Amino acid sequence: MAGSPLVLSHVTKRFGGFTAVSDLSMDVPEGKIIGFLGPNGAGKSTSLRMSLGVVPADAGHVSLFGRAPDITSLRRVGFLPEERGLYKKMTARDTITHFARLKGLTAAEARARADELLEASGLEEFARARVSKLSKGMAQKVQILSTLAHRPDFLILDEPFSGLDPVNQQVLEDLIRGEHARGATILFSTHVMEHAERLCDGIVMMARGRKVFDGTLAEAFATLEKGASIDVEEGFDLAAALTPKGFEAQRAASRGYGDAWRIVLPAGRGPQDALRAAIEAGAPVTGFAPDEARLRDVFVTLVGEAEAAALDAPADAAEVTA
Amino acid sequence: MHNIYLIFRRDYLGYVKAWGFWLSLAAVPIFMLIGAAFAAFAAQSSPVRYYTVVEPAGVYASAIEAQFANDEDEQAEQIEEAVERMNLPAGQEQVDAAAQMRPRKFIEVPPPARDIDGLRPYLLGERTVSGPLGDKPLFAAFIMSADGQTLEYWSDDVNVGTLRYVARDASRRLAREAALTGAGLDTDFVEAAEKAAVDVPARRIRTAEEQETAGSEVTFADKAPVFVAGGLAYFLWLMIFSIIQYLLMGTIEERSNKIFDTLLTSVRMPQLLAGKLLAVFAVTSTMMLVWGLFALGGSAVLAAQVPEAAEKVAPFLATVFSPKIVIPGLISFLLGYVMYGMVFMALGSLCDTIQEAQTLLSPMMILLMLPMFAIMIAFQDPGSPVVSIASWVPLFTPFLLILRMPDDPPLWEVLAQMGLMAATALVVLWFATKVYRAGAVNGASVGDLGKMIKGMFSRKAG
Repeated sequence: MAGSPLVLSHVTKRFGGFTAVSDLSMDVPEGKIIGFLGPNGAGKSTSLRMSLGVVPADAGHVSLFGRAPDITSLRRVGFLPEERGLYKKMTARDTITHFARLKGLTAAEARARADELLEASGLEEFARARVSKLSKGMAQKVQILSTLAHRPDFLILDEPFSGLDPVNQQVLEDLIRGEHARGATILFSTHVMEHAERLCDGIVMMARGRKVFDGTLAEAFATLEKGASIDVEEGFDLAAALTPKGFEAQRAASRGYGDAWRIVLPAGRGPQDALRAAIEAGAPVTGFAPDEARLRDVFVTLVGEAEAAALDAPADAAEVTA
Repeated sequence: MHNIYLIFRRDYLGYVKAWGFWLSLAAVPIFMLIGAAFAAFAAQSSPVRYYTVVEPAGVYASAIEAQFANDEDEQAEQIEEAVERMNLPAGQEQVDAAAQMRPRKFIEVPPPARDIDGLRPYLLGERTVSGPLGDKPLFAAFIMSADGQTLEYWSDDVNVGTLRYVARDASRRLAREAALTGAGLDTDFVEAAEKAAVDVPARRIRTAEEQETAGSEVTFADKAPVFVAGGLAYFLWLMIFSIIQYLLMGTIEERSNKIFDTLLTSVRMPQLLAGKLLAVFAVTSTMMLVWGLFALGGSAVLAAQVPEAAEKVAPFLATVFSPKIVIPGLISFLLGYVMYGMVFMALGSLCDTIQEAQTLLSPMMILLMLPMFAIMIAFQDPGSPVVSIASWVPLFTPFLLILRMPDDPPLWEVLAQMGLMAATALVVLWFATKVYRAGAVNGASVGDLGKMIKGMFSRKAG
């Protein structure tokens, strides 16, 4: 698609007899933040490495800024790999400068940019400290700054939030929003759905090497069964009361406000319609909560609970890469 | 080129900023100075020891003493000759001072007992004897057997053999004198006979025209090519050994730092490899340059003090810069460096730790030791068939081709060996790049052969 920094067309990657990515097609539109979601081992990192030409695809086609990934197209990309690493004996400033120069900045530009980024991220006093002397969080910040130093048009971040404490996760979210506001297109992988819910315009979901969803957040939530929870005083049969009004009610685990019921909403009817119907039917309502749409539920709907349980695995669990 | 420069620059500065580099740089001159000082100190610091000779007539005691005096006279003569040869402005004072650097280490004392049982406590250090340097235990005792056929050497420390060798020489001298006297000849007879022998001087055959100007005497200039070629071959061998550590450590560090993905989205694999090879080449060259300057400085000082030394160094320098040596030398150097450098870098890319690397290093070390034997043979005989045949093995050619040059091998052989070496370097480059890619990109490890082979033959990424 014209104007898309990254287009994957029927891309497949195998390692021996294991298919890490199977027939993946996706398009990352310019100026959008796209979440690449799935549990560990879903094939996210392999897909991103193929997108950058680090590992070759066995089948299919990768287009990065309209061409096969090469040094020219990669200069417009900032990549944060899942397996983070820096030269431990280099200083923070030299690290950022070095990677910025590799991406085409002059020595003076790179140094100025390094100073600017270090100051903006509160690391200016560690500018001349060796990476080995920095805390893990600070080193990770330095690596992220190295990724941003050349003001890339397209940021590819592989599990950028893993290993960061909640404060730094928020800092990174702000940074991603800032880069997006600057005009950068962003593709980031994560197995933590909440980050995607807060940041993304669109999402691509992967499971066992296959794409299971590709669309906007709204489209993702549209796949969910809509519902609401209604609590009534003990002994009241809400199912019998609502069935004539066109709602299906099922018993749910009590939340301490009498008997709990879950209402499945028919197409075109909202939670408030269900509440109104219950009251009209004389139900002694003690509590009411419309369902909160979560991407995790979308994933469960798409792949099943067993597969979705892998989302809760630790971030460093085995991601099958080359 | 810019990316190669950036990779080169980072790696080079990374190496030279490390304290280990400066330690290595200083190590050679410092150890040379320490070694020289230590040798002088060892010679001066060994203790003066007492010995005694138990015999009926005191003949052997006198002979041993005479042998010591004779050895000292010979040493003094050698020093004098050296001073004369080098045109040093030294007089008898310097000669005496040099002689004093090696004072007598063994002094004879009268025997405190006449048999080994009586001498035992003195030799075991339980009792002491008086001598010119005060009371000391006996270091050794010579006891003549009753039949006069054996002069037994008794000591608690049989590892120090100097005294026994002096006694043996003294005994031989004594026997020779006795034999000559018995035959009615005096001791000058042998010396006169030796002087009458025909001299066998070495002559270098040249064309009549060359002989007209250069003469036929064998000079340093005649011997220089063999020494220079051997020295350069050894230098390359030493350099390959030096780079092993740098390339292995650097690659293992990058692998353990998990930095390859970041790098490979900024530079192409060949650029990465070229930058790294150049950096280590520059590091090693820096070391060699500094050591070379140190040696050159030392030579300059020596040449200023001893004019004859400069004359002796000149043929060696002329050989080093002669096209016959310098062209094959440089080609061998570059191709050898690429071949071995790539191999070690590829091995490093498969290892997470030095321990892992050592399992792969052993066969490489054995491989590297083989040309070393050929280098030693070539010093004795540059035209040896062993060197000629081994030089056709492309992995040995970088070291051995240069060794053959003083023997003027046929030009077609030189060109063929260079071609073979270049072709092998390309194959090694291709293969090592595949291994490197498998290790660096696909995460193959030493014990992960299947994965490595799969990685090696996977299609190359953009």
